[in-house]
Amino acid sequence: MSEYKAPTEASLDLADIPEALLPEAAVEERALRTVEIDSHAMNFGPQHPAAHGVLRMVLEMDGEVVARADPHVGLLHRGTEKLIEYKTYMKALPYFDRLDYVSPMCEEHAFALAVEKLLGVTAPERAQWIRVMFAEITRILNHILNVTSFALDCGGLTPSLWGYEEREILMEFYEAASGARLHANYFRPGGVARDLPDGLIEKIQSWTTTFPTFLDDMEGLLTENRIWKQRTVGIGTFSAEQAMAWGFSGPCLRGSGVPWDLRRSQPYDKYAEVDFKIPVGRNGDCYDRYLVRVAEMRESLRIIQQACDKIRPGPVKVVDHKITPPPRREMKRSMEALIHHFKLYTEGYHVPAGATYTTVESPKGEFGVYLVADGSNKPYRCKIRPTGFAHLQAMDVLAHRHMLADAVSIIGSLDLVFGEVDR
Amino acid sequence: MTDAAYVSLPADRTAARLGVLAVRFTTTFTGLDSVGIEKGELVLRVRRDRLLDLMLRLRDDPGFRFEQMMDLCGVDFPARRERFEVVYNLLSLTHNNRIRVITTTDETQPVPSVHRIWPCATWWERECYDLFGVVFSGQPDLRRILTDYGFEGHPLRKDFPLTGHVEMRYDADRRACIYEPVSLTQDFRNFDFESPWEGVLTLPGDEKVHETRQGPEYRVPPEAAR
Amino acid sequence: MSVTTTGSNDLVWNREALPPGPEQEAVVRGITGEMADKGFVVANLDRVVNWARTGSLWPMTFGLACCAVEMIHAYMPRYDLDRFGIIPRASPRQSDVMIVAGTLTNKMAPALRRVYDQMAEPRWVISMGSCANGGGYYHYSYSVVRGCDRVVPVDVYVPGCPPTAEALVYGIMQLQKKIRRTGTILRD
Repeated sequence: MSEYKAPTEASLDLADIPEALLPEAAVEERALRTVEIDSHAMNFGPQHPAAHGVLRMVLEMDGEVVARADPHVGLLHRGTEKLIEYKTYMKALPYFDRLDYVSPMCEEHAFALAVEKLLGVTAPERAQWIRVMFAEITRILNHILNVTSFALDCGGLTPSLWGYEEREILMEFYEAASGARLHANYFRPGGVARDLPDGLIEKIQSWTTTFPTFLDDMEGLLTENRIWKQRTVGIGTFSAEQAMAWGFSGPCLRGSGVPWDLRRSQPYDKYAEVDFKIPVGRNGDCYDRYLVRVAEMRESLRIIQQACDKIRPGPVKVVDHKITPPPRREMKRSMEALIHHFKLYTEGYHVPAGATYTTVESPKGEFGVYLVADGSNKPYRCKIRPTGFAHLQAMDVLAHRHMLADAVSIIGSLDLVFGEVDR
Repeated sequence: MTDAAYVSLPADRTAARLGVLAVRFTTTFTGLDSVGIEKGELVLRVRRDRLLDLMLRLRDDPGFRFEQMMDLCGVDFPARRERFEVVYNLLSLTHNNRIRVITTTDETQPVPSVHRIWPCATWWERECYDLFGVVFSGQPDLRRILTDYGFEGHPLRKDFPLTGHVEMRYDADRRACIYEPVSLTQDFRNFDFESPWEGVLTLPGDEKVHETRQGPEYRVPPEAAR
Repeated sequence: MSVTTTGSNDLVWNREALPPGPEQEAVVRGITGEMADKGFVVANLDRVVNWARTGSLWPMTFGLACCAVEMIHAYMPRYDLDRFGIIPRASPRQSDVMIVAGTLTNKMAPALRRVYDQMAEPRWVISMGSCANGGGYYHYSYSVVRGCDRVVPVDVYVPGCPPTAEALVYGIMQLQKKIRRTGTILRD
């Protein structure tokens, strides 16, 4: 029986302590003497600008070196899973926007696919292309926020000043498609809420030609930046085996050198028909995770371009009006459409009994929904598999024997959003 | 001469692979309660005492190689004798397979912890303990994780009310945030959609028909559905 | 130039001064009455203080959930709250206003209150988004505080789920209006 072995808690090793922290005498007799440094516990957060929300960490410190990190989560535990059990499938969908509020549409995607699987329906072609397009827009939205605020945590303000302008443009696309800047409620079981407005695809296409300039500018600020590299290279290193054992997924897994992407290995919607590369890191440190994210943005851009080319006019939701609402103009004329509309928005649809674990490659990694239906109009149980939960759990191993400031880098590189971690 | 028309491979390669795996499980493992493909997903049901053997084999056997435990969660079926299902969703990166292992327990029977097989299991088990009250034996760090410090009860059980039992406010006299019993201005409106026209839900006196249609495992007792 | 200086007593306003008499008496009485009532210096200092306060509202960044994203967008170039002298602070000791952006849960409430208690007077609170206003979409949850006004006193409520960055900017302007109207250098 081969058990997984956690790194052993080495006794306080002088070699780990930077020279500046040691008393003068100790520096001279470094090899001979041991120095007593009180191990003390430190509270990081829950209100800390680098905590990316409401993370509380109890850090046991040896001087300025982290000996043990104990993240306390649940400070944003809103009882989403319980609330979903009390709402119809249609009313439960917006909760998914609010889980990972930096990549709302990807979360909706998982729930929509899960419900479609249980219902046994497939979204029409155009809806699938729209979903792929907006899932990738969401990925770019997420990665801009992560990379730029990661830079902000390490002291670089400019990337976020530039990046948020790009985010504003993408949120305009969100607004044009769904009516909301952030919480779109756009991907529905059976398709998308409504068709894209005229001219949006052209706008997106012209944006894809300008976006690489921003990426180049941002990379110019960070990728070869000496300070940036000092803060990230070799920090929070995770091997491929460790990353797999700790349940990593997404850029954090790929940063450790595992070429695993659900869009490629278990494709959903139209991902099987687009051509894109999977960027993989080599060292599994914070810097590689950053590079993977930047490269992923470029690949997402290619997917968006392909989706813009391949999308064709057609229906955007299944025509079964027991699942999707009828068009408004039909409701004014047809009694049947009116009844369908009324039933759908009060009682909702009934999903046949069964269970499914459906996953999508959300920008942060594998986002899964374990949905148990009992044949009624409400989910019997809806377990949300957050990505950040697994990543944050490894914080103790990642931050072990690192300086306190490096813990901040590691949190930044893990891409945590607490709406999702805590649910 | 054989009739070749009857020999055909399933068009979906994933389904074929899952079928092969399912056959392998039935032939190589003893003590499995059931092996099945539900909605295109491979599901194993196993007794608690056989869980660790199975899991270790699933991770280490070169034919399975489920390196990652992606998710662990509980599901509550209050009507059953062993009311909780503990569901493990595993992923094999090598073979690109997913599998779901389900075991059952009740409030007191401990489930063996798998944190020695996958270290990430610790937090998922803590979460399951927090939300359902499922006890994991061999788990050294079984603290609450999501709910408030000092929370009472297990919120995702079906008999736990949606709004809980207590709510918080700041008390100016005691200069602290305090808990009080819940008092809502308006109660949560949980409509009952038992419509005689649809016939999907069970009507009073009609339970037999419903059970035959849905299968007994998804039966919800009326008090839990409220 | 309307003011010409031919001699020290030949200023224009000197020439237009009221001669001694009942009219001059009335004006003087009016001014001294006002001074006795409000105090000449204090009345204007109030305005100066309010101008300073509204022009440099430093918010405590209390990004709890989704609304935090819109709050950051309000700070960033397109909406640029810096124009109003609004610079996010990481420490409660330096900040005047707390923007509660997102769902407040039972586990977080004591921390929120502690941060509020650490802020120096005068202090204001903006509640941003439906969750902070009254629980919103999570109102009936077992773990959510149904409105952050159960924990801290709120001055301005910004509705929306989440409110757009523009809505937050408008909310801040409403707070400035409130300070101008009710602000005082007296401690309350």
